[in-house]
Amino acid sequence: MTRDTEQLIRQLANSAHPVRRLAQPYVRAAIWLAISVSYLAVIVAAIPARHDLSSKLSEPLFVIEQTAALATGIAAAIAAFATVIPAHNRKWILLPLLPLAIWLGSLGPGCLQELNHFGWQALPLDHSLWCVPIIVLVGAVPAVAMVVMLRRGAPLTPQLTAALGGLAAAGLGNVGVRIIHPEDVTVMLLFWHIGAVMALSAFAGSMGHHFLNWGSTVRASENTAR
Amino acid sequence: MTDTLDDHFGQLMQAAQTGDGDAYIQLLDELTPRLRQIVRNQRRFLEANDIEDLVQDVLLSIHAVRATYDPERPFMPWLLAITRNRLADSARRYVRGSAHEVHVENLSVTFPDTRPNTTMDAYGDPDALKQAIAALPRMQRDAIEMLKLREMSLKEAADACNTTVGALKVATHRAMATLRKMLVKKR
Repeated sequence: MTRDTEQLIRQLANSAHPVRRLAQPYVRAAIWLAISVSYLAVIVAAIPARHDLSSKLSEPLFVIEQTAALATGIAAAIAAFATVIPAHNRKWILLPLLPLAIWLGSLGPGCLQELNHFGWQALPLDHSLWCVPIIVLVGAVPAVAMVVMLRRGAPLTPQLTAALGGLAAAGLGNVGVRIIHPEDVTVMLLFWHIGAVMALSAFAGSMGHHFLNWGSTVRASENTAR
Repeated sequence: MTDTLDDHFGQLMQAAQTGDGDAYIQLLDELTPRLRQIVRNQRRFLEANDIEDLVQDVLLSIHAVRATYDPERPFMPWLLAITRNRLADSARRYVRGSAHEVHVENLSVTFPDTRPNTTMDAYGDPDALKQAIAALPRMQRDAIEMLKLREMSLKEAADACNTTVGALKVATHRAMATLRKMLVKKR
């Protein structure tokens, strides 16, 4: 063993304070969800919910859509937390696909109905862009909580991890928007809401290596040791 | 890798997670030669220092994310996942770094074309050069022969001529100036 490496090992051992073992991904996802839902409750209390919420909750498609969006967020969170555990089963990454498919599928009947009613030419294209900042506002705290929690793990796949984290936060943000924002034109929902969720997820993925990288992870552990 | 060894490492890491420094030193001491072997096998073209840098990177990474180890799961896959990731990360950094570098391989000081070169390394007519050297005053001729033709050091040449280094330098300078004039006249 070379002298430098031997010295490094002694330094690491000297700074080896007890560490709190990372919980299972689904446990961490539950903690994240608790933080996020609490924040969502505050937002809904501050910004009044849509006036027709009670009647919307009796519509099976609306309930399926929101449940699937929430499930997509939770599944993406579990998958994101799994990606920061070395040698964790990679099949977890596929977990959000099923709820995401159900979410997209729940908008399908509405889209077809609108197409039959208006036709391609007369399809209503106007949409209030208020939904995008509301998705960002509702998803902000869940996104920050997600980043803080992800940084406790190993940055093995920064882009994928961040994209899944972004999907989780934006998926939850979309649920918040649907509770607050009275917009039911499904083709536009598909384009603006799911498009915004996917765009935010892709943006998070592209920025992943800035906040999830070995350099900052190692520095953070050195700072904790001091 | 046997299950016993995996369990052994797992137990040491479990102890290290609770703050047991001795267990941690033992774990890292035992892992280091194995890591070095893995890095050497994966990066055969690297020199020993670079391999050691990578081993240290892996050790720092293990330390930074030791909270992610779950004693219910095998240790070696956890270790290898970090090691492989660090190796891939270092390769990416190398590629990114080399993309911004310009490699210069002993470029000529002057242009290959002779026209921009005002001086030439070799004189084209050796006989004329020999005659010019023979025509130099004795001190200057000795200086050129010893320093330029026999490639003696200034000290050696000064001792051989029974003169000082300073005087020899002056003689060489004058000899070069005289030769230049003589050879230009002959062209």
